[in-house]
Amino acid sequence: MNELIIGIDLGTTNSEVAVVEQGQVRVLDDGGRKILPSFVGIDDNGEILVGERARNQYLVYPERTIKSIKRLMGEDTHVDLAGQAYTPQEISAIILKRLKTIAETSLGQMVSKAVITVPAYFSDAQRQATRDAGAIAGLEVVRMINEPTAAALAYHHDQSAAQRMLVYDLGGGTFDVSVVNVEGGVVEVLSSHGDNHLGGDDFDQRIIDYLLDHLRETYGVDASKDSKAMARIVRAAENAKFQLSDQPYARIEEEYLLEHDGSPVHLSVELSRMVYEEMIEDCIDATFDALHIALKGAKMTAADIDEIILVGGSIRTPCIRERLLDEFGFEPHGELDPELCVAMGAAIQAAMIGGQQVDTVLVDVTPYTYGTSAIGMLNGEYYPFTYVPIIHKNSVLPIRKSDAFATSFDGQEVVDVTIYQGEDPDALNNVKSGEFRIEGLQDVEAGNIITLTLELDLDGILHVSAQEKETGLEKSITIKNALSRFESAALDTAKQRITSLFGQMETGPDVVEPHEEEEETSTAPEIEAAKKLIAKAESLFDQVSAEDREDMIDLIETLSNCIKANDIEGLAEPSEQLADIIYYLES
Amino acid sequence: MKTPYQILEVTAGADDSEIRQAYLQKVKNNPPDADQEKFREIQAANESIKDYRSRIRYELFHEQTLDFDALLDQAFGTDQPRQIDHDQFIDLLRAGVEAIELESITIEPEKT
Ligand SMILES: Nc1ncnc2c1ncn2[C@@H]1O[C@H](COP(=O)(O)OP(=O)(O)OP(=O)(O)O)[C@@H](O)[C@H]1O
Repeated sequence: MNELIIGIDLGTTNSEVAVVEQGQVRVLDDGGRKILPSFVGIDDNGEILVGERARNQYLVYPERTIKSIKRLMGEDTHVDLAGQAYTPQEISAIILKRLKTIAETSLGQMVSKAVITVPAYFSDAQRQATRDAGAIAGLEVVRMINEPTAAALAYHHDQSAAQRMLVYDLGGGTFDVSVVNVEGGVVEVLSSHGDNHLGGDDFDQRIIDYLLDHLRETYGVDASKDSKAMARIVRAAENAKFQLSDQPYARIEEEYLLEHDGSPVHLSVELSRMVYEEMIEDCIDATFDALHIALKGAKMTAADIDEIILVGGSIRTPCIRERLLDEFGFEPHGELDPELCVAMGAAIQAAMIGGQQVDTVLVDVTPYTYGTSAIGMLNGEYYPFTYVPIIHKNSVLPIRKSDAFATSFDGQEVVDVTIYQGEDPDALNNVKSGEFRIEGLQDVEAGNIITLTLELDLDGILHVSAQEKETGLEKSITIKNALSRFESAALDTAKQRITSLFGQMETGPDVVEPHEEEEETSTAPEIEAAKKLIAKAESLFDQVSAEDREDMIDLIETLSNCIKANDIEGLAEPSEQLADIIYYLES
Repeated sequence: MKTPYQILEVTAGADDSEIRQAYLQKVKNNPPDADQEKFREIQAANESIKDYRSRIRYELFHEQTLDFDALLDQAFGTDQPRQIDHDQFIDLLRAGVEAIELESITIEPEKT
């Protein structure tokens, strides 16, 4: 029996949803758009906005808009959205709910199950948070698979020759690299490495810092305090980055960015690709360091790799391809859209789980070593926190491993166990994954043996249990990271909260906006003029009444849509109206 | 208890590539989603005999993976390092197995 399960790529900047239908993978669209920007916002009426509209609003109302929430997943923190605090899981759930709706509208049936991808290098806590986000969104997460693995599945789909692939996945917020062997219908990940906080967002940040420095030097003004100016700088930086992927130079022009000592500050600067590539060189270096670690983990060298698969929007950065070519001596693959292939792989895995005939078996590994600490020797001395690795990195999932420990004093009834993630011989230099306590042990002499079992499931989530050898007394818990984890009651509350938010929200693709081009190539004078007008209007927001602002925003939205659609005629009327308001405000 | 050779259905003299093919075939027929215990068993079997080094190690220490309790009893029953005979020792050196494998298994108490 076939069961409908959707595949979701929940990205830092963009998210996508796909399914397999009659053996074909299809990325589902929302009024023509396959990519949903991972932005969440609240509009004037307290309604929730997700995707393109939230992204557009970010420019005007950064305080009511959240971007890149994925970077906070697994952390015990909150974000503020229009005065309300939300957990990262809740914000991610809003994006997931939207994707669920897109799928339901597109497929004409209810959807309740999903495969969600996560960066291979996501930790246990980050995976747990992703699973919780699914639950809050009303989606049963039947499996989480690693993004590079999903991409390998998507690429493997139509071919069967034995191959060793290197997947280089540089997205908005995370970097992953995996070595994958494909042979005899088995897609086998041999090793994975990465960085959870390295991606296109960091490239943007380098340009942002450069622009802020420029403003400081040229005007002596600190723009970082002004949230609206910052939102525009962020957008300008990203646009410059896109341009630099195609051209050797980018011009950054933001007129009326802010006021300083009563006069307007215009941002106007040129950035060359060379200077930009210097700015991000250390980031690229870091990806190559990770790549070498992954190769080593697979006991291979660059010469052993048959093909390279590029995944994630940031691989459009030209110097990345150049360096890969230098290193491997051949051109990487890029037939599938680097932004869509992860969702496609998720859909393929979903189809496999859902019982649709797909002729591939996936074998994946953990990129982390997990263990505990004990009294032992470190650098020739007794040390109470010697790391005892139990599950080694690049072990195939699922895996279960045990180790034995003994109580250290007579009558010891309690043992506290800390689980660490990492490789350092000093446990304290590793990441603490969780702690738990074994209680009610027998009142016996020291040396009471406790067997500690660590288990990583297919989702890469860690389960820990302990047993007193003598009595068989069992203690089992899933790692608890106190507050970053949701108790089931808290999950229900969050679910209700998010559901009620959606109560007022438009469902389905009713707002069919025109297709946005990657970059507005048109430079018709009308469009230039309209852009200037918008910039000018935005710079006045702080000084106008709520009512005027309302009108201005509406007009800006109309203008933006015309610009996107390259609708020159449509610009005339709203331009005139906006110019009138500005004139009236300034006089 | 089945040996890794039995689990993968290969002969005791099988070489790396025979073992590899047998392993892939087993995985193909027993995906992790279907029966995790079975899948884990196949993985463990593959790990213990996939190459020359691991096969030597398996010959020398196969109790370690197969009978955890016996190993524990041994570790706690005696302070002596594990005894191996001369031939095993030579094999071990040839296989380049890390020195750590030769030490007695010490079990340190967990700090409370
Ligand atoms: N032409 C381009 N040149 C450089 N960078 C680009 C280009 N197009 C997109 N990007 C960048 O790619 C990133 C988005 O890629 P993608 O959608 O694959 O990431 P994601 O799935 O959201 O992130 P992650 O996988 O890290 O969670 C953004 O940082 C975006 O700025």
